[in-house]
Amino acid sequence: MSTTAPVRERAPEHEDVAKPDVPWIVIVWNDPINLMSYVVFVFQKLFGYPRDKATKLMLDVHHKGKAVVSSGPREKAEYDVYRLHNHGLWATMQKDR
Amino acid sequence: MSPTIKRIGRDRFRVRLGAEEIAVLRGLPDQLRSVLARREADPVLERLFPPAYLEPEDAERDTDYRRLVHDDLLKEKLANLEVVTNTLARGSTSVRRWTVDLSEDEAMAWLGVLNDLRLALGVRLGITEDFDGDVDESDPRAPGLHLLSYLGWLEEHLVEALASG
Repeated sequence: MSTTAPVRERAPEHEDVAKPDVPWIVIVWNDPINLMSYVVFVFQKLFGYPRDKATKLMLDVHHKGKAVVSSGPREKAEYDVYRLHNHGLWATMQKDR
Repeated sequence: MSPTIKRIGRDRFRVRLGAEEIAVLRGLPDQLRSVLARREADPVLERLFPPAYLEPEDAERDTDYRRLVHDDLLKEKLANLEVVTNTLARGSTSVRRWTVDLSEDEAMAWLGVLNDLRLALGVRLGITEDFDGDVDESDPRAPGLHLLSYLGWLEEHLVEALASG
């Protein structure tokens, strides 16, 4: 990795390219079928969250209708969404703004 | 009475069910397989293969996502079904109790299938509010609701066993 300070010579053409760090957030939505215990189990298994944090997120989903469960670059967010879908959770992703 | 599903080792779970339960469970994998094999649009498939992006500006990304992951998701579901079918065949019955021992991977496959079955059933029954398992016998959907309730009970035990130890 270069240690030289980058010099911006001209305005980039695409905002997406200029701001690769715009984070994406992964949202899990409430649904009437998935068990509360199952959702906690999945959050712990997929994200390695401690039981307390997983439980709090599950309760947010349950009471507020949704919760942000992870965030990061688009590729990471998409991978997280895929894993949540693979476990039957209703997950989507969007730009954090 | 001992729990229906319990951890009996680091990588070992014991499932004990009644003969009637097994008779019901044995019929379910093929039903899920036939839904998964459908080519036409089906709300169950929409639930099992949901969108990743909701924003209109991300429509193209969602198309790409679905194309990219659909086969992987399907493969995983079919593999889970295979495990459940095989382990249901492997179990043995004595004195009206059916028993099988599962590895952790097999137990996870059971969890995946139970959850997919419940999601599918929930869509078919039109469940939109949280379902607490109570069934109104005058409801024409009562048989389906009883099945949903039973599968939820079984899944609850399985999650508890998997989360223990």
